[in-house]
Amino acid sequence: MAGVTHRLEAHVLGEGDWIGATEICRLCWLDLGAVMELAELGVVAPRGTPPGEWQIPATALPRLRVIGRLMRDLGVNVSGAALALELLEARRQLERRIRALELLVSDH
Amino acid sequence: MEFRDYYKVLGVERAASADQIKAAYRRLARKYHPDVSKEPNAEARFKEMQEAYEVLKDPEKRAAYDELGANWKAGEQFRPPPDWGTGFEFSGGAGHAGGAGRAAGARRGAGRSGWSGAGAEDGAFAEQDFSEFFSSLFGGGSPFARGGGGAARDHHARVGLELEETYRGTTRTLELRRPEVKPDGSVELRTHTVRVTIPPGVTEGQLIRLAGQGAPAAGRGQAGDLYLEVHVQPHRLFALEGRDVTLTFPVAPWEAALGASVTVPTLGGSVEMHIPAGAQSGQRLRLRGRGLPGQPPGDQYVQLKVVLPPASSPQAKALYEEMRGKLDFDPRANLSR
Repeated sequence: MAGVTHRLEAHVLGEGDWIGATEICRLCWLDLGAVMELAELGVVAPRGTPPGEWQIPATALPRLRVIGRLMRDLGVNVSGAALALELLEARRQLERRIRALELLVSDH
Repeated sequence: MEFRDYYKVLGVERAASADQIKAAYRRLARKYHPDVSKEPNAEARFKEMQEAYEVLKDPEKRAAYDELGANWKAGEQFRPPPDWGTGFEFSGGAGHAGGAGRAAGARRGAGRSGWSGAGAEDGAFAEQDFSEFFSSLFGGGSPFARGGGGAARDHHARVGLELEETYRGTTRTLELRRPEVKPDGSVELRTHTVRVTIPPGVTEGQLIRLAGQGAPAAGRGQAGDLYLEVHVQPHRLFALEGRDVTLTFPVAPWEAALGASVTVPTLGGSVEMHIPAGAQSGQRLRLRGRGLPGQPPGDQYVQLKVVLPPASSPQAKALYEEMRGKLDFDPRANLSR
């Protein structure tokens, strides 16, 4: 059953946006302890103190959400998810390079 | 609606133990997780598995599901029995959200979809994105529904955009499905349509917030938000990395050798570019600011690909022979050192 169409303005969370620790936890399926561990590992660079009042750049959201999903869905811990994220990013980088090299030698 | 065979989805027998179900789910989750998997249709498979596991991991839901009988086949037309849910005792009926559910939900609640489900801050699951079959049995209004009296919840969904759309900005019409309880107590998925304006320059994985479009709170509370996660579709010509794009650009040997002025396609239209003399295949030239818009905007990289003309005509053959005779060129000079 179709309802009324509403027109909405989208707010893109991007450069210049800082997001509070509580909202980060909600958006990335993480708890504060995990965010603190990720800061220790250098995955995020928060500003402010204490951790409960940290502000985190919105540009970190895509990576944190992958980490949150991997922890939640696959049962891995913080270090494991951070390592998986780095390996996934490295794999993506290699795939891009391979694709670029393939294009150089292909007929098309 | 079609019947779903949750045992088949997870590949387990109906008599499987809780541990076997968990093991099957974890094995499949590892294989089909959309952040990790290279399998085609990984996302759809993953959602199916999550839905199946949501039911089969919960002894109450599993028992109720088993009550439907073993004779149903996946894909068969199905309607919930009129007395559905009666005769069961429930540990988590309406109003269950929060409290114990909150703690369990945040880190290990394996049954929820990160792609379009409920937020993790309460114990409710992603019924918004589960099938009509699931919603009719376990969604809002059913005795199994959790969170009916709970707080507002965020919803999450993926939105796929073409590269051109991320460059220029675009609008998207989204059909959002929410389970609603009808006066007779049955549940239907109600679709409401929203039109979203997406500004130029969004990048892979970026979040777009639509305030107030999540699940409403009970009573007069404010609704949660809807978050769209951007995924940019692969492009025929341009490879995207952050805000930078790379184009592989074929050039003739004389353009590379002598330098040339060429017309190069960019996302914003064609531009003139100078190829320096002595350019080589694989060399990357930069067109500053010609990537995706932003602060700062991305760049376009042009990877040169020298293409040899075929020696298929007498003239072409003669030119190659002339080069062979007149050029002091050894492409294998490095090998003989």
